[in-house]
Amino acid sequence: MTTATLTAFRTLDQLLPGQRAIIQKVGGRGAFRRRMMDMGLVTGAEIEMVKAAPLGDPIEYKIKGYHLSLRRAEARVIVVDF
Amino acid sequence: MAKHYTIALAGNPNAGKSTIFNALTGAHQHVGNWPGKTVEKKEGTAHIGGHDVVVVDLPGAYSLTAYSAEEAISRDFIVHQHPDAVVAVVDATNLERNLYMVVQMIETGAPVVLALNMIDLAEAQGIRIDRKALSTGLGGIPVVPTAARQGTGMDALRRAILQVSSTAPNHRGSPAWIDYGPEVEAAIKTLETLIRQRPALREAYPPRWLAIKLLEGDADILALPDVVQDQALLEALDEAAGRIKAAAGEDPETLIVDRRYAFISDLVRRTVSRPSVEAITLSERIDSVLTNRWLGVPIFLLMMWTVFQMVANVSAPLLDWVDGVISGPITHWVVALLRLVGLGGTWVESLMVNGIISGVGSMLVFIPVLVILFLAIALLEDTGYMARAAFVMDRFMHLVGLHGKSFLPLLVGFGCNVPAIYATRTLESEADRRLTAFLSTFMSCGARLPVYVIFGSAFFGAAAGNLVFAMYMVGIGVAILTGFLLRRTVFRNKPTPPFMMELPPYRLPTLKGIWLHIWERTAKFVEGVTTTILLMSVIIWVLLAIPVRGGTFDTVPPGDSLFGELSRVLSPIFAPAGFGQWQATGALVSGVVAKEVVVTTLSQVYVGTAHAPIPEALPPLREDLADIVRSAGEALILTGQEIVNIVPRTVNILPGVQMPEAHFLGEEGESEDSTALESALRRSFTPLSAVAFNVFVLLYIPCVSTVAAMRQEFGPRWTFFQAGYSLLVAWIVAVTIYQGGLLLGLG
Ligand SMILES: Nc1nc2c(ncn2[C@@H]2O[C@H](COP(=O)(O)OP(=O)(O)O)[C@@H](O)[C@H]2O)c(=O)[nH]1
Repeated sequence: MTTATLTAFRTLDQLLPGQRAIIQKVGGRGAFRRRMMDMGLVTGAEIEMVKAAPLGDPIEYKIKGYHLSLRRAEARVIVVDF
Repeated sequence: MAKHYTIALAGNPNAGKSTIFNALTGAHQHVGNWPGKTVEKKEGTAHIGGHDVVVVDLPGAYSLTAYSAEEAISRDFIVHQHPDAVVAVVDATNLERNLYMVVQMIETGAPVVLALNMIDLAEAQGIRIDRKALSTGLGGIPVVPTAARQGTGMDALRRAILQVSSTAPNHRGSPAWIDYGPEVEAAIKTLETLIRQRPALREAYPPRWLAIKLLEGDADILALPDVVQDQALLEALDEAAGRIKAAAGEDPETLIVDRRYAFISDLVRRTVSRPSVEAITLSERIDSVLTNRWLGVPIFLLMMWTVFQMVANVSAPLLDWVDGVISGPITHWVVALLRLVGLGGTWVESLMVNGIISGVGSMLVFIPVLVILFLAIALLEDTGYMARAAFVMDRFMHLVGLHGKSFLPLLVGFGCNVPAIYATRTLESEADRRLTAFLSTFMSCGARLPVYVIFGSAFFGAAAGNLVFAMYMVGIGVAILTGFLLRRTVFRNKPTPPFMMELPPYRLPTLKGIWLHIWERTAKFVEGVTTTILLMSVIIWVLLAIPVRGGTFDTVPPGDSLFGELSRVLSPIFAPAGFGQWQATGALVSGVVAKEVVVTTLSQVYVGTAHAPIPEALPPLREDLADIVRSAGEALILTGQEIVNIVPRTVNILPGVQMPEAHFLGEEGESEDSTALESALRRSFTPLSAVAFNVFVLLYIPCVSTVAAMRQEFGPRWTFFQAGYSLLVAWIVAVTIYQGGLLLGLG
């Protein structure tokens, strides 16, 4: 991926505490990707970053009314708009 | 006429499924494993309206996709076992995500009853749910509000279960009420037609459901023999998927999941009203402390430390009590009985006392430890803290290729490896469970401690503590390296499972739920490991009893027995590690029963004190009974003392602080006379070979109880692999230390 496309996308791991975003696209592949979608990370869903764990990773989010934690590496495959 | 029904409970984790299961079945339940899986299977019976109902608790899952073992089990049961009713348990405060799986269940054509659980909490939060509209939106299934913790709504739930079970004539239609959009619907129709032309598929699955699953690219379905060999069907599927992708710009799987969630969002919007300003929930407030940036880690460490103290120390008095009752009164009674039938003083008496009773005893002593561990786990899980523990520690555990939740089993391992094996059940993925259990056996448990202590004081005097500390470090080091190694070999093709984890709201657990949790798991342990442990201790007894260099059966000195002979044959293996004498080998062989037995055997072969002699005159029954009661009382008091002492022990971690510990029964000087053994050890080992021997004791095959627990949880292959690996590693490390030490001139 070139730097141009990199900056064009914003990914879920870039959210700051309290920030909200709308999910644009769920990346990843296979079982892992499906699992994320099953947990409600689908296009158009609103997601809020709550906070990072004390050691910096994983991150707690609020989606569809519940709290979900993802590792940064996992959040990075989700493209958001905020 | 009374009928037999089978119903299943299914739903997301933490929705209250277990609580509903307990309310329906009471104490009539049985815990086992799903065949070939390390996932727990709970089954119970209930009487509803005069009918016998078998209730199967399906594992908590978020979807019926069949990507995880839990999902696959739930789906296979619902699709293939045709339960008379499926109770979908949902958390009413979090309907949107919970309904996702419910919709999938309804799509299979199963007769679903919706239990709208935690309705008490929903009402308290001002959430209003239009039940009628919800039921209509879900195709007319019964919707029953329940508060399982309080038992509210359970009668209505029973009635709904009965009504569905008795009326649904196993109808297998997959209701077509979700509109997946023109492109996908066209594809579904095409595939459905093809499926209807194939009797094998048509009879086994609802056609519409199967068509949807094919489009979702479901791995299990695509692997069905009837599908794999059906070229025409697969071509039609490929073509349909291609057409969807071209028209909608997305693959069918994504479209289907999106539409399902869109359907649910719309349904929830129409049927649920929430207060306009979202209040900060109690859970969020608790989390602002428990997972706080600065407090999170200290609180976590404090919790884990407390669990460890409870497992390692608080259970000790009860453990001693069980041990005392077995080696005292129970042994006396068995001996008295044997004397009554004229077998007193014979080998039968010795087999009973030194083989069977001590074998059973070595298993029973685990019960207090396990009860306390299961209590701690039940509290951590049912309140919701366990997920936070994983959240806080994941970064750290991830460094060694583990999941945040692996921390607890590993920590518990320092107390005892047996509960550690069972503690891995809190992990979601099978790979994590296996790996964590494997590594937990390298955590130096309490039973290894007496070995270090006796060698430490024999060879290092005041510096004995350093030996003990070094052993703990070696164990941790080996575990970390093993973790790296296994991740890159055995688990190479299994990608690290995603961490992705729900942080469920904090909930108040029920006493009944916790009690059942403890009871089921403890009973399962006894059931599962008794034979293995008994067998092992009888084998050791027989080996010790058979004379090979003169002497008579059962009274032969250990050195002249088959046991001694075997040890002599095996001992050259350990010569490179510096302890090639047969006594050391013998101690290692019998140490497989339980690691503290290493010390017992060493003193048996070096000092000659065999088993505690069976007394000639037995105390009267009354005295024994009084003894049991008195020692039970003492054990309870000491348990209280140990609970109190968690505080000073915690405070004393701070350097320079010395808070005294409580002694409820006065200070007791526990000085066992071990000087004879110590000087014998000094004659037979050098300090270097002593260290090598201790390292070997630390690392080689965990005790039979752990092996049995491991086999019960993970099957024989994994257990053999673990035993073989640990033997090899123990030998390599011990030899390296000894030879390295010699090279450095430490011999
Ligand atoms: N307030 C309330 N708490 C509940 C209810 N049902 C279950 N709980 C609590 O929620 C927690 C999780 O319940 P459990 O049955 O273990 O959930 P499972 O993971 O679905 O089996 C426990 O602490 C229960 O005591 C309910 O209806 N109302």
